[in-house]
Amino acid sequence: MRLLAVTVSLGAALLVMTTAPSYAAGGDAIFKKSCASCHYTDGPAKEKTIADQLAKKGPELFYAGSKFQKAWLAAWLQNPKPIRPMKYNSLTEHNKGDHPKMSAGDAAAVTDFLMGLTSPEVKAGVIKAGSSPQAKQIFGKKMPCTGCHEYLAGGEVHGGKSGPSLVGASKRLNPDWIYAYLANIKVFKPVRDMPDFSGVLSPKDMENVAAYLATFE
Amino acid sequence: MSRFVIIAAMVFGLALSAAGSAQAADAKQVFEFYCAQCHGVNGDGKGINVGKDFATDPRNFTVTADMEKRSDDDIRGVIKDGGPSISKSPLMPPWGATLSAAEVDGLLAHIRQLCKCKGK
Ligand code: HEC
Ligand code: HEC
Ligand code: HEC
Repeated sequence: MRLLAVTVSLGAALLVMTTAPSYAAGGDAIFKKSCASCHYTDGPAKEKTIADQLAKKGPELFYAGSKFQKAWLAAWLQNPKPIRPMKYNSLTEHNKGDHPKMSAGDAAAVTDFLMGLTSPEVKAGVIKAGSSPQAKQIFGKKMPCTGCHEYLAGGEVHGGKSGPSLVGASKRLNPDWIYAYLANIKVFKPVRDMPDFSGVLSPKDMENVAAYLATFE
Repeated sequence: MSRFVIIAAMVFGLALSAAGSAQAADAKQVFEFYCAQCHGVNGDGKGINVGKDFATDPRNFTVTADMEKRSDDDIRGVIKDGGPSISKSPLMPPWGATLSAAEVDGLLAHIRQLCKCKGK
């Protein structure tokens, strides 16, 4: 009996030893262990109702590779500064900046995993960062964007707090994703407290605005 | 027979009132999710977005005198098409592509409750 137990555990240990090294190094395994309780990575988007959205503990990441810039992601995972001024899904509590931190090695592995999660909705290499009078007018005057999003002007942070801050968007977001998000918001976030601007902004307006946000310091 | 009718009526009535309060609860949830960020949870116009940079105060829905001037169609219209559709601030977003007609009707009813008023 005892012998059997020893043999079994020895066998199990051997099994773990032979499979462990490559497995532990994989970003997907690290993600499953430390991150998947708050983020899902298998698309398409799952939320159908407000209750579904409010039940989420963190943003969906199934298109992370199309949304983020790789260098930003690897750095942020090691030193995660608040993106949303408010706590996720809250309009009363502020963001405490308590996101889990990763070591440089783990962050690199998870970054590789997340950058592999791309979306067919995002056409790569189309939108180039650049400012235009049209985009400035839309973002700052004609549309309510600044009511919900922070941005930098004259070295100071201005704007509303319910959306993610757009300060530093030029380093964080992929301009092609910004365009796809404005044009087809429901694919990425079917239930969110940002209005769908399709039919309100023309595709050309959206291109201009995406290019403009991609210059945000 | 008469007993059956009474029971049937009671069951039907219960179902009706449950449906009514479910709708009200939905409208409150919809308001809190989409509108409270600017208009405040209580509809007083003091949402989290309203700081020093906010050029035009979001409407305070609890002021009866202001809200009774608006017809139901005006309110539905501004929710769907945004502030500029009634020559108001563009900080009031257009929600037409986001909300269903039923959700807009629910919000209208919720706003009427907040202002304790009817439209002209
Ligand atoms: C307890 C829940 C929780 C866990 C665990 C967690 N996160 Fe997050 N994550 C969040 C929340 C909440 C945010 C939003 C933070 C903000 O806006 O500042 C977030 C934001 C992110 C973002 C930016 C997404 C966006 O759209 O803005 C990335 C990338 C991310 N997390 C990756 C990870 C990784 C990798 C791990 C595993 C080490 C992890 N998270 C673990 C809750 C969590
Ligand atoms: C009523 C508030 C509101 C308005 C108005 C609004 N947004 Fe948003 N925006 C949000 C919220 C909330 C999110 C995040 C949704 C989520 O993650 O669930 C968001 C997300 C975004 C993102 C993605 C940021 C990220 O890091 O994930 C971009 C880009 C963006 N908005 C641009 C715009 C532009 C451009 C406009 C104007 C045309 C605009 N927004 C108007 C609330 C708003
Ligand atoms: C980004 C901030 C913002 C959000 C989010 C927002 N509003 Fe507004 N709303 C405003 C502002 C600002 C005004 C005032 C416009 C003015 O007086 O020029 C306004 C005005 C209104 C009015 C017009 C009142 C009048 O004068 O007749 C109605 C009705 C209204 N909002 C309903 C809603 C509803 C319903 C929602 C949610 C679906 C909502 N708002 C979400 C900012 C917002």
